Amino acid sequence: MRRSLWPTLGRIPLYLFGLTMLVPFYWMLTAAFKPVPELTRNPPSFVPNDPSLDAFYDPSYTSEQRGQQVVAGLFQRFGDVPGGFGRFMFNSLFVATAITVLSLLLASLAAYALTKIDLPGKRVIFVVIVASMMVPWQVSLIPNYLIVRNLGWLNSYEGYIVPALAKAFVVFFLVQYMRSIPDDLVHAARVDGAGEWRIWWRVVMPLMRPALAAMAIFVVLAEWNNFLWPLIIVQSDSMANLPVALSRLNASNAYNPQHFAVIMAASLLTSLPTVIVFLIFQKHFTRGIALSGIKG
Amino acid sequence: MRLRRALPGYLMLLPFAALFVGFLVWPLANSLYFAFTNYNGVKPPSFVGIDNFRRLWFEDERFGKALVNSFVYVAAAVTLTTGLALALAVAFRGTSWRDRIMRTLFFLPAVTSTIAVALIWRWIFTVEDFGLANTVIGWVGVEPVQWLATPSLTIPILVVMAVWGGCGYGMVIFVAGLNAIPEEHYESARLDGASAWQQFWYITLPQLKPVTTYVVITSLISAFQVFEAVYIVFRGVSSVGGVQDSGLMLVPYLYDMGFTKFQLGYASAIAWSLFVVIFVVSMIQLRVTRALREL
Repeated sequence: MRRSLWPTLGRIPLYLFGLTMLVPFYWMLTAAFKPVPELTRNPPSFVPNDPSLDAFYDPSYTSEQRGQQVVAGLFQRFGDVPGGFGRFMFNSLFVATAITVLSLLLASLAAYALTKIDLPGKRVIFVVIVASMMVPWQVSLIPNYLIVRNLGWLNSYEGYIVPALAKAFVVFFLVQYMRSIPDDLVHAARVDGAGEWRIWWRVVMPLMRPALAAMAIFVVLAEWNNFLWPLIIVQSDSMANLPVALSRLNASNAYNPQHFAVIMAASLLTSLPTVIVFLIFQKHFTRGIALSGIKG
Repeated sequence: MRLRRALPGYLMLLPFAALFVGFLVWPLANSLYFAFTNYNGVKPPSFVGIDNFRRLWFEDERFGKALVNSFVYVAAAVTLTTGLALALAVAFRGTSWRDRIMRTLFFLPAVTSTIAVALIWRWIFTVEDFGLANTVIGWVGVEPVQWLATPSLTIPILVVMAVWGGCGYGMVIFVAGLNAIPEEHYESARLDGASAWQQFWYITLPQLKPVTTYVVITSLISAFQVFEAVYIVFRGVSSVGGVQDSGLMLVPYLYDMGFTKFQLGYASAIAWSLFVVIFVVSMIQLRVTRALREL
């Protein structure tokens, strides 16, 4: 059986490689649960000897002890922000949810108008939308910053949300999918006297569910992990999302290894929600990617 | 009849269109204008013609460095990621629970915050003796290395991060491509006595060409836009590009010029250069693939 032996043998290095994929995650996990003295010990422990939650909240910490073997836990930091680290989690969740719901609504409306209604000029509009996808988004970064500054939206939820609502890619994807919905359904609804808004919401949207699910996952993920735009518009700690808060933790603490348990704890809390969502909706993820080639 | 539907149609298109014009088309037009001006965000822009681009492409040594770094990084990261993704897809394309677990595993980095991931790598490559990287090389008797402070190691570390983070995504697309190849091709090849290697070489690879092109181009585009890894892992006190700009690439340089030095006109010229680089490289890639297909 020459055929079955080779693939099995050839896979062993790949299985090992698969395990090394986990090493960074594992290293984050152990660091987040090590007390400071163990964290900075040489050689490092590969299983925390004395697992603790100090990195999240250290009951023995008082501000007088600063600089000794005790550092403030994650939820004891950002004292000038009401809610501390929890506020960043709220900001991330709120912004990602708002952008996902609103951008999908707007994009599906636009996609309906572009596919199911005989609009003069719609071909040109669609070509412009597709062409815009060729330009890297960073090209519009500086003017958008100036626009948001002039609107007085720096450091605000509007600044996060409004510029992120026009997603050409989502319209493109939904148009592709909507074309596969038979026009007869729409015609039949029109004959029955339904208006366009009603047909969009009652007839077409329910049939769009798989496409909407794929796009929702894609947008939520991208917004939850969004960094460069928030980095530019956020001025005070209280408006930071999780990635920006992580970056600020890094900037002020990364030169002292004692703080890395806290940094890893924050990284853990930032990555855990998306990993859990991925594990639950895995089928939608991979199908959406295979269908459209979304960058995850 | 047609006009009666056109009104709600335009109304449905309006919210998206307004935001699309306001936050994409108009900014792009502005950005193009800024690229030909001297502008600091406070005083009105003053037109300088192609001066920004002339300085950028012919005089600016930092831009040259960013360009070279980007090309080296992109070439290494895209080649390794694509090759590995293909190997993984061939190995774990099946429907058994083992294959599915492996696919999940490799895809995890793609859904994890790039900032969190970058911080993990920063912790792994810490200069301290107890860092994971230094511990591992210590097992084979190598002295601790100042990973993040050694300029020649910057790009290799970024490539490792890119391969680790990107191979699962390519793998998922390759698996979809592999499963779309009709099984009859393999059956008739086996009847003709083709070995596993011959089947891979003469059936799998040619059939995968469109998928490969797709994976390569999307990886190219995202690799040219790398920012977070450089910004977080190699962040220095005064610069965004790492020690001696060893990790300076196009988007970090754009950020540095635009948002720490506030040379908005010059930074816009960098932004459009990024577009040109990505566009030209993608076009070359498409041409090469087409030429190969015609061979």
